[in-house]
Amino acid sequence: MQNKSHYSYYQADSDLRQPANYLRQLINDLTASGELSLVLFLRDTKAAYRQSILGIFWAFVPPIVFAAGFTLLSKAKVVNFGETNIPYPAYVMLSVILWQTFQESVRAPMAGLAESQAIMKRLRFPPEAVVLSRLLGVLFNFSIKLILLIAVLIWYRLAVDLSSLLALLPLCSLILFGTFLGLLLAPLAVLFQDFSRGLTVVFGFWMFVTPVVYPVPESGVFATIVRYNPASSLLVTTRETLLNSELSLLPQFFLMSAVGMVGLLLAWVLYRISLPYVIERSGA
Amino acid sequence: MTILQGADPDTVLSLRGVSKKFCRSLKRSLFYAALDVWSDVFRGRRASDRLRTGEFWALGNVSFELKRGEALGLVGPNGSGKTTLLRLIAGLIKPDTGSIEVRGRLAPLIALGAGFNPILTGRENIVVNLSILGLSLSKIKAVSDAVIAFAEIEEAIDAPLRTYSSGMAARLGFACAMQVRPDILLVDEVLAVGDMRFRTKCYRKLTELQSQGTSIVLVSHNPNAILGVCDHALLLHKGAVVETGDTASVLNRYEEAMFDHRLGRSDGTLAREDHRSGANIDIVAVRLADGGGNPVTALQCGKPGRIMVELVAHEPMPKLFLGLLIKDLSRDGSTVLRFHSNDWQHAWPIEPGRNIVGITFDPLYLKGGIYSAKLYALENEKLGMLDAVESFVFRVESLPRASGSLYFQPIKWLE
Repeated sequence: MQNKSHYSYYQADSDLRQPANYLRQLINDLTASGELSLVLFLRDTKAAYRQSILGIFWAFVPPIVFAAGFTLLSKAKVVNFGETNIPYPAYVMLSVILWQTFQESVRAPMAGLAESQAIMKRLRFPPEAVVLSRLLGVLFNFSIKLILLIAVLIWYRLAVDLSSLLALLPLCSLILFGTFLGLLLAPLAVLFQDFSRGLTVVFGFWMFVTPVVYPVPESGVFATIVRYNPASSLLVTTRETLLNSELSLLPQFFLMSAVGMVGLLLAWVLYRISLPYVIERSGA
Repeated sequence: MTILQGADPDTVLSLRGVSKKFCRSLKRSLFYAALDVWSDVFRGRRASDRLRTGEFWALGNVSFELKRGEALGLVGPNGSGKTTLLRLIAGLIKPDTGSIEVRGRLAPLIALGAGFNPILTGRENIVVNLSILGLSLSKIKAVSDAVIAFAEIEEAIDAPLRTYSSGMAARLGFACAMQVRPDILLVDEVLAVGDMRFRTKCYRKLTELQSQGTSIVLVSHNPNAILGVCDHALLLHKGAVVETGDTASVLNRYEEAMFDHRLGRSDGTLAREDHRSGANIDIVAVRLADGGGNPVTALQCGKPGRIMVELVAHEPMPKLFLGLLIKDLSRDGSTVLRFHSNDWQHAWPIEPGRNIVGITFDPLYLKGGIYSAKLYALENEKLGMLDAVESFVFRVESLPRASGSLYFQPIKWLE
């Protein structure tokens, strides 16, 4: 009955002291998370939709509301956002979809850990699963919004072709960068309430310095801030690839993609290291 | 179970000098968490064997090992570190000293029905729970009928979980947990759910798993559960192992420890000379005596005995009534005897100064154990409480003839 493949050794010293062992554990847990994250994703999604009358309608509302609102402001000349290369409502809707996806991918690991800490306090299971299941949720939400996105492309007769599919690559970068931030903050957010509260404020401000409702500014201090804001280059490059436009923030995009990927790996290790300390203190 | 020396191929679990410290101040403990993570990442080692300001040892230097098919009971008062120990073994939290080695698949039954969602149906929740417990989807498909059958909820299985009674949900959770086929099962009080029949079924299942080679670590406040399942037990008190050995002797020691823990060693007296009630009567001492009125340290089951109350009165009183409530601390703390002298139309005339009142048991029907008496002096038949002793803890020495009975009944056999 005894299973030779199951062996665990726990001690006070950091697991990082045995890097080979640690790496094997990471890979084992990641493999074991596959099915589990799918199951958890299905659980959350089914439960959410069973308790909702309007269902996927809620995925469409924010981009449309944003687009309507900002178009109104723009038309009334209350604000002057400058010329966009595609019709303004389409511009806002596409950008808001991307921005929301970014925002969701930051919140995904945090929400996943916060929701599962009660179980993690009682059961050991791959901690990657709670993050991956939430990321599946992000992809699922995006694929629903894709319906809106395609509708926008058709309605405004925007020129797209097969090469627009390449936009999936920068989109992945955008999600990875968001996940990196979220994973880094997740353990802290479980311990300190300040993080999830602060995040709402941060996202509010962050959207203003990201070209979501306005085009990339050409010059000035604001332009520099916008250009080096990590979300800008990732979001703008996704949008530009989709619309076959000239890629204006390519160097920043590569830099931020690299930061996102390396950062995600480090955040993953940090997440796992901090987990026992977080679980010990979690109030769940 | 033995204190570990060397490795045995049959050993599935071994703890060597395991300690764990906690910090009561939340803010400080959060700060320490940040420090510890930092040390783990950049230094690989924390000075975890020393206490920092505000920390205390929740578990100190615990060593034991568990062989295949053995069942170990963990007993101890609340806060003695039982759950912490289980969490350490399950790998949920890190030890601060020592090491824990687990050979084989471990299933912590610390919570039943992990991941259950009330909106989803019972069938869907089986998949979620088993997946969290580490089963593959193909395996889940294969066992889900067995789960439903064991949980005995065939008719409700496609209804949302929130329509289940708590007993049904617990049954479903237990039935899922039984599918894990672990080498080591950690059970923490979870079997206290469900009705009597299902509980019996659960314990039978545990015994069955054990006979198939599963090792069990069981935490329970119910001595009968521990006696029924475990061969060995370990008594924890304030984070330290006080006693290990066969279940019955450890449980005996536990009852004594509970007693010590509550009020120190009772010598059959409670003195409080400085006590002032503010009313006419001050109860200054309570003591035990035998049938002849001689002081004793414990009453004896089946023999005459007295509880004497010494009180100081400031002014004379024509009538003083006495009330007495006795609770059984060795079992569940429920009230077993209640007396009120008024019911006997009995009252004492009180002179200024010291007076002795009390009650005689002839013989005492209480069986061996630890009891707590609440005593109160009243000035009339209704309320008017003058003074009270909330808890006078005393011991009753057992009578072998009364063991196995709820109380002692003097009898005569027919000639």
